Amino acid sequence: MIKMDITTLGGSLFGTIPLGDIVLYVTPFHLFMFATVIVFTCLIAISRTETQIEAKFKSLGNNAVSVGLAEFKIRRFLSIVCGLATAGAMITGDFFNFILFVALIGIVNIGIVSAVKQVDVLDAAFQYGLGAMISSLPLFSAGAMMLAATGTLSLFELANIATITPMMIFSAVLFLIGVAGETGIAPFFATKAEMFRTPGSPFLLIIHLSSLFITIRAIEIILIILT
Amino acid sequence: MKIGEILNKLACPRRIPKIFSVVLGLFLLIGLITPIALNNDQVYPRPAPQEQMLAGDSIAPYDRGGEILKSPGITKAQYPNNSKSLGMVNSYMSPIADGVRNASPYFGTSIYSSPGGLIDEILYYTRGFDTILESTILMMSFIIASWIGINFTMRRKDDVDEVKLEEND
Repeated sequence: MIKMDITTLGGSLFGTIPLGDIVLYVTPFHLFMFATVIVFTCLIAISRTETQIEAKFKSLGNNAVSVGLAEFKIRRFLSIVCGLATAGAMITGDFFNFILFVALIGIVNIGIVSAVKQVDVLDAAFQYGLGAMISSLPLFSAGAMMLAATGTLSLFELANIATITPMMIFSAVLFLIGVAGETGIAPFFATKAEMFRTPGSPFLLIIHLSSLFITIRAIEIILIILT
Repeated sequence: MKIGEILNKLACPRRIPKIFSVVLGLFLLIGLITPIALNNDQVYPRPAPQEQMLAGDSIAPYDRGGEILKSPGITKAQYPNNSKSLGMVNSYMSPIADGVRNASPYFGTSIYSSPGGLIDEILYYTRGFDTILESTILMMSFIIASWIGINFTMRRKDDVDEVKLEEND
């Protein structure tokens, strides 16, 4: 079985950013993801929202659904926070730190759509919020169990652990379930997919983009820990 | 049941929290039979419960050793190189908190909440970035809640267009 650690998965280590026990690290893989998210966040920060044109039923008129200024401002702010949190999660080298970034992204995602005045979008956002709150249980308990089972939370140390105990596997799968609930991937996609159906496109895309990046990074972290 | 029916049921947002919690609950049952293997070599160790209480320590159970501004308390860090003054944060107490400690053996827990009392080193020094993120999560939820509170407190009658739009959907 191939031993996977940080360099086999991400490429050569460019350097670390030490913040006490939390050490952010940069490899080509992480740098690419980090830069992509930062560029997208900058694009969001300078862009304006789209206006949806809906054809009216039984007449020839159109119905423009646009975003008001107050709503635009709060959405832009929350999208930028979401982008920065996603970028931070890409380069973090600490298990618990990553979990906190995921929790932050979950909260901010609800906030981005909470400002709309469309009932079915709000319904979906409410259901997503329930799911996000439920998934804080598996996320944080996964962090606690990993600390209890290995005595460390740093990915550099976790990568070097030779024997994989069943508790570590349990913790990693719990972590995966938590990330699946928070980002809304495969079986739990419906809430997040319904949340998008509202005007204000570039800000809504960060909801989607953050889920994609977080999923990739979560799989990488699980590979670092378990192999 | 056909696969199509199952997929259709998955596409309903209302069912997602229920399905998710059932999946989570079933998986947590597996946790009951998972062998528990704890590692005693922890990064963030704690003294045994009640140990400091029984010893009559005046700041039990939060005593982490050390002398104020002189010698560091007991704290382990994952990377001691990144935390130069490791232990000093833990051992620090403000003059007021120090006075309280010397005056009476009964106010140990209140020193923890007094200004400049015991500061948790792990929370504010070695893992300070986590604390920043935690408070950011809290702040974002306050921002969202207050924004909704201000902007969604409206008379629905005055906002005829919005209400009509919803009814048509």
